[in-house]
Amino acid sequence: MIELFHIGKQYQKPFWALSDVSLRIKDGDFYFVTGPSGSGKTTLLKTIFRELLPTEGQILINGINILRIPESKIYRLRRRMGIVFQDFRLMFHRTVFENVAVPLQVIGVPRKEIRRRVFATLQKVNLHQKMWELPARLSYGEQQRVAIARAVVNNPEIILADEPTGNLDPELAFEIISLFKDINKQGATVIIGSHDRELIRHFGDNILFLQKGKIVGKEGRA
Amino acid sequence: MIEKVKFFLTLTGNNLWQFRTRNLFSVTIICLSFLTVGIFLSLSNNLRDTARQLSNNLTVAFFLDKELPAAAVQALRDEVGQPAFIEEVRFVPPEEALEKFRASFPELGDIIANIKANPFPPSIEARVRSKVSASGNVLEFVDTMRGRAGVTDVQFNQDWVEKMQGFSRLAGAVGAFLGGILLLTSFFIISNVVKLNVFARKNEIEILRLVGSTNLFIRIPFWLEGITLGLLGSLLSLGLLFVVIRLFPFYVGSSLGALQDLLSFRYPDLAQALGLLVGGAATGFIGSATSVSKFLKA
Repeated sequence: MIELFHIGKQYQKPFWALSDVSLRIKDGDFYFVTGPSGSGKTTLLKTIFRELLPTEGQILINGINILRIPESKIYRLRRRMGIVFQDFRLMFHRTVFENVAVPLQVIGVPRKEIRRRVFATLQKVNLHQKMWELPARLSYGEQQRVAIARAVVNNPEIILADEPTGNLDPELAFEIISLFKDINKQGATVIIGSHDRELIRHFGDNILFLQKGKIVGKEGRA
Repeated sequence: MIEKVKFFLTLTGNNLWQFRTRNLFSVTIICLSFLTVGIFLSLSNNLRDTARQLSNNLTVAFFLDKELPAAAVQALRDEVGQPAFIEEVRFVPPEEALEKFRASFPELGDIIANIKANPFPPSIEARVRSKVSASGNVLEFVDTMRGRAGVTDVQFNQDWVEKMQGFSRLAGAVGAFLGGILLLTSFFIISNVVKLNVFARKNEIEILRLVGSTNLFIRIPFWLEGITLGLLGSLLSLGLLFVVIRLFPFYVGSSLGALQDLLSFRYPDLAQALGLLVGGAATGFIGSATSVSKFLKA
């Protein structure tokens, strides 16, 4: 369970990127956060995996206040999450395989097992034939799929994806969200920040609407 | 465990190769710093060994009047040989002294040839037993003999031993001072090279943190890089030192004359060589550790 209580984030006074955002996301939920550019989607996701500290409010994940976790222990929280960044954040001097293997390497998974899981995940996103390529030689959409593969390779409990289909054609975007749906069916909580109305209409069970950092609407269990 | 070690070593190797130009620069600087330390160390080794040899082989030369009758020479020789601390007494005739000089200073052969008469006086050389240093007894004996009729001058190489020990200490101190400055320079260079590497991999570090990596996991490859750079630099300096020591005699030829023995180099012993290697590794490690920890704190 992810619980946000009166979250506010101020980058620069007097503007609030997020203001009084409270919500509760149950385990296994499939959740869309939507709104126009600058509405606070990315900021909201960043506070959940603690890349950003909110200016006010509290965030609890499974009852643990993540804002009180010391910096040196944050890795424990992040190992339970898979994150797809808007800008992909790939390591461009490492191959596709090496990029996807990183979350497994940091938790000390044996090499054989890493090979097996990375290959299986790359197969799911249809990139197994390009696993030895450098990301720079891939298209934008393919790079995005590498980022998604990296986020799901260690079967995380929570997946946070910031505009994961932003650079994909509609067909591939549907495939990718279907992939997130599959992972969600296996028990993972998935939170997707997106402004793609078509996708949200098609897949959105729970939708949170943001505007200028404030919640302006909810649908489903949201 | 083995798998983890393998993983970190591979990662370190890849990272070193990725920034090979700047790493090569770093290795060169470390190498030159340690080469300077090594050169002074080997020079100091040589001076110390020479001083030790001389102190184990102390000799006193009593120069005699050229006109001294043979009986008087014999009497003096007997007297010099009496004390227990004298191991051996030898009469050196002027001809032998001249030959010895010619052998020691071949470049001064022309000067000797131009002098018609032999300028060297006869002498009695007394070798003091090894391990007997210039104790009060020896010095008293030398002073007594200095006053004997027919003895024109006395040369006691204790002065040389002391000078040699002084030079050895000086070479060691200069080496330590210059080496210290250069090591400090190496330390800052390694530190900055690693800092550049850290900045170049800023995104990678950020990604590692976001996928749940511990700080230790991020630090280890950088530490290993620093240690490898330091080790490579110091190893290369030992190789170059070997070349310098081998080539030095060919380079100077016989131009240094009798000083050649003093100014030649001696290979560092195993402990010193290991010390240089460990020093290199430590410099690399400290340099990289400070850079990475600064970055991770930021």
